[in-house]
Amino acid sequence: MYDMNRVENAVSQTDIKIAARGVQVYYGDKHALKDVDVDILDKTVTAFIGPSGCGKSTFLRCINRMNDTIPIARVEGKIALDGEDIYDRRVDPVQLRAKIGMVFQKPNPFPKSIYDNVAYGPRIHGLSRNRAELDEIVEKALRGAALWNEVKDRLQEPGTGLSGGQQQRLCIARAVATAPEVLLMDEPCSALDPIATGQVEELIDQLREQFSVVIVTHSMQQAARVSQKTAFFHLGNLVEYGETDDIFTKPQDSRTEAYISGRIG
Amino acid sequence: MPLSWALFASLLLAFAGYLLGRSRAFAAAGPDVRQLHSRPTYHGASVALTALMPALAVLAIASILRMAGVITAEAGTIVGLIALAASVLGLGWAATRIGRDFQARNAVERIVLGLLIMCSLIAILTTAGIVLSLLFETGRFFQVYDWKTFFFGTEWTPRFQGNSQLGILPLLWGTLYISFIALIVSVPVGLFAAIYMSEYASKRVRSFAKPAIEVLAGIPTIVYGLFALVVVGPMLRDYFAQPLQLGNSASSVLTAGLVMGIMLIPFVSSLSDDIINAVPQSLRDGALGLGSTPSETIRQVVLPAALPGIVGAVLLAASRAIGETMIVVLGAGAAAQLGLNPFEAMTTITVKIVSQLTGDSDFNSPETLVAFALGLTLFIITLALNVVALYIVRKYREQYE
Amino acid sequence: MTDMPMSNPVSGATKGTLMQPDARTRRRNAAEKRFRIYGATAIGIAVLALVVLLFTIFRDGSGAFRQTYLAIPVELNAQVLDPKGNRDPGEMSKVLTLGYGKVLDAAVEATVARENIQIEGLTEAEIKGLISKDASAQVRSRVLADPELVGQTIEVDVLANGRVDGYFKGRVTLASAERDNNTSPQQLMLADELRDRGLMVTRFNWHFLSNPDASDQRPEAAGVGVAILGSLYMMLVVLFLAVPIGVAASIYLEEFAPKNRWTDVIEVNISNLAAVPSIVFGILGLAAFINFAGLPQSAPIVGGLVLTLMTLPTIIISTRAALKAVPPSIRDAALGVGASKMQSVFHHVLPLAMPGILTGTIIGLAQALGETAPLLLIGMVAFVKNFPASPPEGLFDPASALPVQIYNWTQRSDPAFIERASGAIIVLLIFLFCMNLLAIYLRRKFERRW
Repeated sequence: MYDMNRVENAVSQTDIKIAARGVQVYYGDKHALKDVDVDILDKTVTAFIGPSGCGKSTFLRCINRMNDTIPIARVEGKIALDGEDIYDRRVDPVQLRAKIGMVFQKPNPFPKSIYDNVAYGPRIHGLSRNRAELDEIVEKALRGAALWNEVKDRLQEPGTGLSGGQQQRLCIARAVATAPEVLLMDEPCSALDPIATGQVEELIDQLREQFSVVIVTHSMQQAARVSQKTAFFHLGNLVEYGETDDIFTKPQDSRTEAYISGRIG
Repeated sequence: MPLSWALFASLLLAFAGYLLGRSRAFAAAGPDVRQLHSRPTYHGASVALTALMPALAVLAIASILRMAGVITAEAGTIVGLIALAASVLGLGWAATRIGRDFQARNAVERIVLGLLIMCSLIAILTTAGIVLSLLFETGRFFQVYDWKTFFFGTEWTPRFQGNSQLGILPLLWGTLYISFIALIVSVPVGLFAAIYMSEYASKRVRSFAKPAIEVLAGIPTIVYGLFALVVVGPMLRDYFAQPLQLGNSASSVLTAGLVMGIMLIPFVSSLSDDIINAVPQSLRDGALGLGSTPSETIRQVVLPAALPGIVGAVLLAASRAIGETMIVVLGAGAAAQLGLNPFEAMTTITVKIVSQLTGDSDFNSPETLVAFALGLTLFIITLALNVVALYIVRKYREQYE
Repeated sequence: MTDMPMSNPVSGATKGTLMQPDARTRRRNAAEKRFRIYGATAIGIAVLALVVLLFTIFRDGSGAFRQTYLAIPVELNAQVLDPKGNRDPGEMSKVLTLGYGKVLDAAVEATVARENIQIEGLTEAEIKGLISKDASAQVRSRVLADPELVGQTIEVDVLANGRVDGYFKGRVTLASAERDNNTSPQQLMLADELRDRGLMVTRFNWHFLSNPDASDQRPEAAGVGVAILGSLYMMLVVLFLAVPIGVAASIYLEEFAPKNRWTDVIEVNISNLAAVPSIVFGILGLAAFINFAGLPQSAPIVGGLVLTLMTLPTIIISTRAALKAVPPSIRDAALGVGASKMQSVFHHVLPLAMPGILTGTIIGLAQALGETAPLLLIGMVAFVKNFPASPPEGLFDPASALPVQIYNWTQRSDPAFIERASGAIIVLLIFLFCMNLLAIYLRRKFERRW
């Protein structure tokens, strides 16, 4: 079904962070994702675009095994993180998700204080030895998410009291605080207004310096603005994958062209 | 039975009124029925209702007067005649109203709406009835018995020859003690069962465990009572109380508390299930996406988020436990005492309500009337718990809607 | 870590391989496993409780459906039973059960003598005590129904004494009979002999379902007939009152009521009423229906009224949920073709909500059927041996109810009544099971997704 050698070849290149080969996903009888091969580079923003229901979010959730939480979902194929298959029986999804963080479509701060939201990941993964270290991690994560100046005086207030854009940046800070190697973002701006969207997009560009970012978006403009690589999905297939500029200016596949010019979607 | 004859006759009149109204409407319409504002059946119905309602009202008022003792049974014939007369008058008046422009449908709908409103007022009437009857009889009790001794007395020894000690404290203590044990059993088990069912259980486990818990919920409390009496009580006595020299009674606080705990498991578990499911999936995803294990997600994110709802559920369960009757009647015993030993028989407010009201005693003696004071106390305690619990749960639901 | 530049705010969590969990992950996974075990234990406790509960009920109660009878020829002595000899039932009814008891005693003794059973120390009283005290009443009613039997010798299956019956069911043993004033090992050995000869048999007991209650000394004759009928009458009252009133109230509150403080009060009131302890409804029934309205005690009408008030909130809550589930588009569609608000509700919304309403109603009725505490207070606990008449007059006759009958039997001293109580629970549970099955069937059959 898939070629082992392709994986070996893929990971021999050092800047490849994630290599997916022959990934198939079934939801019950529905074949949601068909034979997807893709290499995601380190310290790069990769955008997944495509019409709704095309499988882009499904694939994103495969990368940190969030599909495990859906009882009827079945994943076949191989996804390697730094050359190690994450679907290997020995891999603990909990440990994996500490390395591959995720930000969701709707801001979902926990009903706890801002501080406790950010400190949640470091606490469960034991990243700090004492309170001072934890304080430091929280501050750095909030600074990294460009939120520190807005919330530094009210860290003990509930995270749910922030505005939508702030909540989403809090969720990004929460993911960043766990020190992931890859950050997955599932339409992170779909619930935000244009100003908040701009702030988050700026942030994504900064995050690229530290790790690989994969973003699912329904907005082609956003993909063009933030990403270096773009993958176009359609009806469960990965149709085209390449440099973002190339995809938007000279698409190879007629379906990509149709989508970009607004004829399908 | 002149009244039932009057009722029957006015029903006949109503039916005749229906036919009359309909035919008059047809007549008024002429060849084109569309000339009418309302369809002929509505005209018929309006006449029928106008004939029936006055008679029913007369009969209802008469039976209330009869209960209150204002009129006697002999007045039945007169009442029946008045009712019939009212019915005939209503019919006559309604029949004259029929015409092309008479809005019969609106008239019928107004009456139906009135009936609907009356039905929804019955719930209010029930509450009023409960409160009034409890207050009235409790007032009578406090006329013959000192209220301070009732609320602060530590002794409960009713004697039929009079001079009883009727202090509520031992009963209150037994009630709270047993309810506490019931909650100790049911809250953890019910909560964990709900968590396991919604977050972990495989389809196969769920397919037998869920119906089993539902069956547990549908079993009447008398069955639990018999279970306490025949199985749990003797078992606790023979294997725990007697070997440990803690008591010789099969009826005990622990017996009643354990069995009541089992009874409350499905109640707590279904409430918790609702509450846990109200926590949005996005919060779970958020925690799992950060690398929490499922149990960390539940303990650190889902449960704190659901806490107000769970507190509400526990309060509702407590109110149930305090008001539960049959299990304590059969499992707890009848000895009113302020003790700590859970293997001893104790008694509750509900047990004493039953025992004071099922004897053949005089309805004016304090020994009987005290049951109403106990009932009022019970009603106030459970009402307070319910109001608070329902308020908390409602606020909690709104938060996630 | 502290002096890293801002571009790299935190260091990596775990740089090692994914293939081997680190110590911390192993620890966390162990905690995860423990947590799962707690959950599974909770389910286990609930299921175990149910199994033990049902098992003990069926173990104790199945005996009530089997009963021991003694088949003997009885010579209906005309001199005792019809001294005047003109076979007039009116006159014959002056002969009380005592007279029939003598005839039966003679018949039992004759049988023992004929079968030539020799047991050391067996007294005459023990032989006579072999059969139930209720047996004479049975024979009497049979003779009064057919006076021509007098003078003949008829084969009768008479009820065996409760202790003898208990012996065949394993409740009574020779050892326990030693300490029992009401039986003796000799009597039980006699019973064994009679069984070996095929005269004494234990067989299925329809009479448990049709007989009325019996007095303290005759557990073997007690049945749930009156109780079933009383429960049925009460359910009829609830059905005819609670359902129309509940549905009407729900329609008003859900479809017509303006949203103001007044309707808020009604709403809060209903949800609180649903959580009021059932015994408080009993107090209300006693004060309002019996003391104030002067309705008779122990009557199904009062029980039915109390249960109606108790069931109303349940029915209203489930009916409102069913009405709420009908999408607004249906109402709009009806209003759009010129129907009045009332017409749209009665012609379109109500029929669509009917399955949900029915399901809620059945569940409310099932609750009412099993309710005991309020019925105790309105006098349903009284000993009732006569069947109530048919409705509507019968609604005012004294009757029992299944759950109250169960309670009543638990208060009797003879352990044979525990068997009867458990048997009555089986009957009650079967009724409840059927009602719930019907509710599930209706829900499945009419389940609709919008």
